[in-house]
Amino acid sequence: MTTIERNGGDKRSLEYLSDKCVGCGICTEICPTESLKLGPVLPIARGLVDMDYLNVNEKTCVLCGLCASSCPFEAFEFKINDENIKNLEAYPNWKHSASIDDEECLYCKACETACPQDAITIKRQLPDRSKLVTGEINIDKDECIYCGICEEMCPPEAITLTVKDQMERDIKVDEDKCVYCLVCKRACPVDAIKAVCSSCSYGDYRINPEDAKITGRSILQEDLCVNCGWCQEICPVDAAKVTKPFEGEVIMDTTECKGDSCHACVDVCPCNAASIVDNKSIIEEKFCILCGACSNVCPQNCITIKRDKMNLENVRSKSWQNKLSELIEGK
Amino acid sequence: MVVVIDTEKCGNITDCPVEGLCTKICEQGALVEEDGQLVLHAEKCDDCDLCIQNCPNQAISKA
Repeated sequence: MTTIERNGGDKRSLEYLSDKCVGCGICTEICPTESLKLGPVLPIARGLVDMDYLNVNEKTCVLCGLCASSCPFEAFEFKINDENIKNLEAYPNWKHSASIDDEECLYCKACETACPQDAITIKRQLPDRSKLVTGEINIDKDECIYCGICEEMCPPEAITLTVKDQMERDIKVDEDKCVYCLVCKRACPVDAIKAVCSSCSYGDYRINPEDAKITGRSILQEDLCVNCGWCQEICPVDAAKVTKPFEGEVIMDTTECKGDSCHACVDVCPCNAASIVDNKSIIEEKFCILCGACSNVCPQNCITIKRDKMNLENVRSKSWQNKLSELIEGK
Repeated sequence: MVVVIDTEKCGNITDCPVEGLCTKICEQGALVEEDGQLVLHAEKCDDCDLCIQNCPNQAISKA
């Protein structure tokens, strides 16, 4: 964490939020005063060195705010007179985003599991199980000999037999656990189990759709999200929508790639987009945000990031446009 | 091809700022610590160059 503060006409402050930084180096490429330097990104990512990815030179930084505006991970907070420039009309704003439409969501949790940043939490309320079972099991306690065979055989363990002594004994069916499979009825040696079928057979026509409804909500933590697109790709109903910070492509030349013995790209990728298959690196473009972290750490220079478009809007300054265009020309 | 260690620049294990970063980053067992000394097992090196790229003293290069 580095904080620089200076007071000229305006009060300007830059804060580097190390926990959001992934070490991609975008800011170091565009800083006009070369005040930002990457540390040893791979050893840091592997936990071998305990330091921040980025070193901010407080003496040379002119507090222009370009780094804060161009960081796709929002790892800087740049304020003018205590107002974050994200909220100022004169400054650029990112159009990258991610959202989950609760109307469409089935609450399957696929996105929650896939999200490489653990930014998604799905809360769901499941229906009352007993309402979805199409029948009811009754045990005739006059007929029952309390042998416990049904209890032992019941697949969901819905039957409980309690025998204190021969006079005080009981058998109960937990309706919330019973799935009406009829194993107990078939196994009962004295035919004490009566099945009351509410719909005959396993047909679903008597089940009230309301009783089967799954409700819930999705929570997407935008401060953790890197807009990688995993949720969008994995969602079975297209409830997740992602707009990435950059558009473009990854050009791989894995002739020299050392695969499993190196795997530097896998270790630094914030998106789980890199993997080693058949001892060669593969970057899945659909999960890649073209941040360039892998390209920087690859010792064999196998990875070229070619950005065609930056989804940053409202770049009013010509000099900023020039500087930012350096990110678009391939690296 | 294998790497060479410039003993002038290398801080060995004790004087390396990360106490032998190369031994930690090499997963081939080509650069290891033996009795507090940095030892290169050239036959295990597969030229991944991670040590070259990450050595804080820039003491490692291609042979």
